[in-house]
Amino acid sequence: MSADAVQLWSFVTAGFLIIVGLYAIILMDNMVKKIIGMMLIGDGVNLVLITEGFRPGAIVPIISEKLYDLGVNGLYQEFASEASNSLPYALVLTNIVIGASTLAVLLGISIKLYQRYHTLSVNEIFKEDSE
Amino acid sequence: MIIEFAIMAVIVLSTILALMQKDLMKAVIIIGFQGLGLAFLYQRLLAADVAITQAILGSALIPGLMIVTILKTRRMQE
Repeated sequence: MSADAVQLWSFVTAGFLIIVGLYAIILMDNMVKKIIGMMLIGDGVNLVLITEGFRPGAIVPIISEKLYDLGVNGLYQEFASEASNSLPYALVLTNIVIGASTLAVLLGISIKLYQRYHTLSVNEIFKEDSE
Repeated sequence: MIIEFAIMAVIVLSTILALMQKDLMKAVIIIGFQGLGLAFLYQRLLAADVAITQAILGSALIPGLMIVTILKTRRMQE
C-alpha cells in the first residue's frame, strides 16, 4: 500500500504539472512564462513515463558488482523479474535532451521578437500587428 | 516514502511560486529548484540515468539559457 501510494501521487504530480503548464500557455501574457509552461508540460509527460516503468519493491536495472552473479552468471529471467522496466527510461532520456534544444530555439525566437516589437507581451504584439 | 512526498511538495510549490512572480529572474531561479526536485524524484523512482541528465539540464542549462534571454530582453513583466 505504501509503495503504491508513491506511484499514485507521482501520477497526480504529473497531472498537476500538465494542467498548470496548459494554464500558463493559454492564459499568461508574457512570452517567457509561456515557454516555462511548455517546459512544464514536457516535464509532466516525462514523469508519467518514468512512473509507468517504476514498480514498487524493484531494484535498479543496472548490473552492479553485487548483482553480477544474479545478472550475468545466473539466470537472466531472475534478474529481469526483479528489476524495474528500463525501456521508458531510455526513451525519456532522449525526450529530455530534445525538450532542452526546443526550448533553446524558442528562447532565440523570443529574443528576435523583442528586438522587433520591443515588448514580450503577446497582447501588445498583436495590437501593434493589427494597426 | 516521506522523502518522495517531500520532493513532490517541493515540485508543486515551486511550480506555483514560479508562475506567480512578476520578476522573471526570480521565476527562472525557482524553476531551477523545480528541475532539481524532478531529478531527485527520478532518482527515487529508480531511474538513475535520467536523474543525472535532468539534474544537469533542469537545474543548470535551462535556467542559464533563460537568464541570457532575460538579460537581452526585459526583466520585469509588464
